[in-house]
Amino acid sequence: MPEPIIHTYELTKYYGDVKAVDHLNLTVYEGEIFGFLGPNGAGKTTTLLMLMGLTVPTSGTATVGGYDIVKESREVRRIAGMLPEGAGYYEDLTARQNLDYIGQLNDIPKPEREKRIDDLLGAVGLTKWADVKVEKFSRGMKQRLGIAEVLIKNPRIAFFDEPTIGLDPQGTKEIRDLMIRLNREQGLTIFLSSHLLYEVQQTCHRVGIIRGGKLIAADTIENLSKKIAEKGKMVIEFKLTEISPGLIREIEAISDVTSVKQTNDRLYVYVESDKSREVSETITKHGAVILLMKPKEHTLEEIFLKYYERED
Amino acid sequence: MAGAMTVCRKELADHLGSKRYIVLFALILVLSTLSAYQGAEYIKNNPQAGFIAIFSGAQFGFSFTSLMVFFGPIIGLSLGFDAINKERTSGSLSMLLSQPIYRDSVINGKFLAGTSALSLLAVTTVGIMCGVAMPILGFGPAVEDVLRIVLFTLLTILYLAFWLALGLLFSVIAKKTSTSILMSVATWLFFSLVIAIIAALVASVLIPITIPKEASGGNIGRILRSPEFRELLQKRFAIQMSIQRVSPAYLYNEASSAILGISRGGLGFIGPGGGKPFRSLELTQGLTASWPQITAIAAGLVVCFAVSYMLFLRLEIRPGG
Repeated sequence: MPEPIIHTYELTKYYGDVKAVDHLNLTVYEGEIFGFLGPNGAGKTTTLLMLMGLTVPTSGTATVGGYDIVKESREVRRIAGMLPEGAGYYEDLTARQNLDYIGQLNDIPKPEREKRIDDLLGAVGLTKWADVKVEKFSRGMKQRLGIAEVLIKNPRIAFFDEPTIGLDPQGTKEIRDLMIRLNREQGLTIFLSSHLLYEVQQTCHRVGIIRGGKLIAADTIENLSKKIAEKGKMVIEFKLTEISPGLIREIEAISDVTSVKQTNDRLYVYVESDKSREVSETITKHGAVILLMKPKEHTLEEIFLKYYERED
Repeated sequence: MAGAMTVCRKELADHLGSKRYIVLFALILVLSTLSAYQGAEYIKNNPQAGFIAIFSGAQFGFSFTSLMVFFGPIIGLSLGFDAINKERTSGSLSMLLSQPIYRDSVINGKFLAGTSALSLLAVTTVGIMCGVAMPILGFGPAVEDVLRIVLFTLLTILYLAFWLALGLLFSVIAKKTSTSILMSVATWLFFSLVIAIIAALVASVLIPITIPKEASGGNIGRILRSPEFRELLQKRFAIQMSIQRVSPAYLYNEASSAILGISRGGLGFIGPGGGKPFRSLELTQGLTASWPQITAIAAGLVVCFAVSYMLFLRLEIRPGG
């Protein structure tokens, strides 16, 4: 069982009368990529700011790497790095100078700092641009520089807040691949806040869904999908050589099959329990050939919307 | 403290390399060198004036002190007005605050860097002025003069640091740099121009001086010389002065005259040549005389810095800046 690295207990933040984060209880384990999912304004960024000690919770507590986020926020920032949404850099300094400044603020001695900067510039693909002023950088390059700034302190956990927002597909892919690589190769725990479902599905081991400042679900995507499936029905998708009304009627006659729908060349069979064997036998008996058969999985979008609907 | 020193080093490098600082530095240096020439000329013509008069004796209204009175606010404010809010809007502040430093390191480091840049400006300018004046005059400052120059330089640094602290305060209060630059310009205009006008206006309303209608060529002179009229004028001047003392620039002007041992013939500041300077005060007398002004400037600095420090520490970093 991996160790928890983040624990929040009833973490709450009000901005005036507006409740940004509402009694949030959350656990993130060491070594995972945790996706923090929710629409804009759900309280994702506020949670990150509190965890990094940039803003003070109204009530509740949390620990990051065992350190209290209020009393030991400086220790938290020693072991945790954050790439905030809309992060900025010193435009009239070069990438190397920007990194050097952050390195100095982390008390990294000079020889080690220089080595680490070179390594990191290589890792994020900015070696060629090391001595160019940041004002000349594209968005994607700046974002990669930001990741290097997060990594220079050798953090145990990295918070990325909407890291691919406003990037082109190429830049988005680079950032995603980089996150996955860092997690795999260096065991870096990543806390990824995003509202992009596809991104979370591609990268994260576990997701937490936040809404109105409250955590409404936290599990692996697979488990979340299962939980939804248990409540509703399973769908099996078929692609057949031929579909006749007689066949549809016969499938509908099988027990536990609730309905059959045809869309173009596909047949969707809704069942209460796993009846794939009976259904395929029926099809074969009818003389049709099965070209494709798979249980239809819930996309993250469906899961997400289901969890949202349930709250309404 | 280590964090503050890192911030300070970076900010100082930024200042020294910034066009803003270089342009202001060059402007002050050129004008001061010219005023040192003029001061030296003045000393040649007025043998009773000492070496120290190079800072105050220039004609055409730009002695070093009046330069500082006028440009000092803009120099100090320009190094401070965007210190915090620029980083806030660009998003580098949240990056900076995500590092393992205490939050006050940021504001302390920035203030320290600004003060260092201003000290460099003041010391270099004063040094170059002395260097320019010595060969022309053929003699250097006496021991007491050196002491006066050192104290005067320290006073100038304190004065510039006050404006820096005020600029820093604006940069914490205003979210946008466009707002804080307007606040800075307004402050500068108010203290270097508007307040003198207000003071004169208030004084003339409180102490009305009417010249009788029947006054004609002959008796106008008599009226002007009468002791009642002089008393009125003095009252008016006293009111004007006490209003102008709200301005740190005016306080600086008074304090520097006292430290340099020069008293002025009852003219407001930015008067051409500052009236008729003559040495009147011993160094210790001068220090005593200028102590209230120095304390007031220092208190202003402490208040500005303390308020910006507290506001910055409480500054809520919100989503979206």
